[in-house]
Amino acid sequence: MPSLPGPTTRHEVSIQHRAGPLALDVQFTLDAPWTALFAPSGAGKTTILRVIAGLDHPDQGRIVFQSTRPPQPATEVVYVDKASGISVSSHQRAVRLVAQRPALFPHLNVLKNVTYRLPSTIMIGEARSTTEQHLESVLRLCRITHLTGKMPSQLSGGERQRVALARTIAVGPSRLLMLDEPFTGLESDLRDDLIRDLKVWCSRTGTPVLLVTHDIGEVFAAQAHVLKMASGRITASGPATEVLADERTRLVQRLQP
Amino acid sequence: MDFQAIWLTLRLAATTTILLLVVAIPLAWWISNGQSAARSVVQAVTALPLVLPPTVIGFYLLVGLGPLTVSGRAIIRLVGHPLAFSFAGLVVGSVLYSVPFAIMPLVAGFQSIGPEYVEAASLLGASPARSFFDITLPLARPAVLSATVLVFLHTVGEFGVVLMLGGNIPGSTQTLSISLFDQVQDGNYTAANHTALLLIGFAIVGLVLVYARRPWRHLA
Repeated sequence: MPSLPGPTTRHEVSIQHRAGPLALDVQFTLDAPWTALFAPSGAGKTTILRVIAGLDHPDQGRIVFQSTRPPQPATEVVYVDKASGISVSSHQRAVRLVAQRPALFPHLNVLKNVTYRLPSTIMIGEARSTTEQHLESVLRLCRITHLTGKMPSQLSGGERQRVALARTIAVGPSRLLMLDEPFTGLESDLRDDLIRDLKVWCSRTGTPVLLVTHDIGEVFAAQAHVLKMASGRITASGPATEVLADERTRLVQRLQP
Repeated sequence: MDFQAIWLTLRLAATTTILLLVVAIPLAWWISNGQSAARSVVQAVTALPLVLPPTVIGFYLLVGLGPLTVSGRAIIRLVGHPLAFSFAGLVVGSVLYSVPFAIMPLVAGFQSIGPEYVEAASLLGASPARSFFDITLPLARPAVLSATVLVFLHTVGEFGVVLMLGGNIPGSTQTLSISLFDQVQDGNYTAANHTALLLIGFAIVGLVLVYARRPWRHLA
């Protein structure tokens, strides 16, 4: 018996939006496990993430999520379609975003931040122990097991980012996980380990990732499909080794004595 | 010591505080999030009692709740007696008179909470109502405490509205501040001094409660 193709997801994104001096006009498809949006600051990356998440509303645009889980027929969810007035609220999109500023809930400790929206208190028996195992693996993945009792104000910047990441992936599978420069300020060893573990986690749960960065090291560590952006437009799309070849050469030259 | 007046005053202040918070918390949240033109008009109206003489509010309430107006007659038919010169009438007057003391700290409190917390909750799947109770309200706790204490103290210390609307009926509408006025009129300065000291005591304890609060460290 021939094996069925695995489940696939894709997001069709089209956004036209004017915010201050920036005129955003992008069309792209997210269908790789990891996509990196690579651009200098001020190119409109964060706006794109906020529009996909439903926190900002574009002037014009259409964002559609398609999921195929053979043998079932493909399903389609429209998040935004300005032409027909559709806009699903952010809490109903099942799209997660780890924002640049972690925004941990300041009145809750690390554990309560991570378990916000986890229904652990009403679960008993087997379900409860599954939830606890899940929670434990999230804490381990983000290297924050030793921090659970602390308040957000007692954490360093890098620790806060890891707690924000843990809080986001703890909620469970989502249609898209977006990371807005989440590894800034982490030392590169820790960053590469985190990316490696997160890749395993996301491929296991079938969650596609959109990573926003201007750090070329992160893109190569994630072996992501790259969308290169400049001043509100997509200028190139392809594997990192092709799209970022120039940047890579420049970086390597700079490292040579 | 006029224990009847003390009990009445505390009962009035507590009732007023609870009723007003129930109305003011959603209203202040709407004001701090609203973008419509109605927002500033509503905010201005809620600040009116701050600048109007209390006697103006008392006068219109007296007329509005009494048998001279349609609304007053409707209320009398509904309740069975005029609200003026009754405890219920005092509660209505006190609630209206203290509106700015609840709205102002609450609006300032809600506005000081950055939008990123509610956004984060929303991205984790929390509905707006859910994140209001889980995130916004706990973060606004210092403002809720301020509003509670200020409304309570303001009601304990109010005079003009009570006198206009409630008159001076012991056990029903004679609060501490009215009782003090009475004692001075009677030349009983010893009793007046005790009443005045008691009112000062309430105020100091309450204000220390407000200023002793500690904001969340990140907001400071």
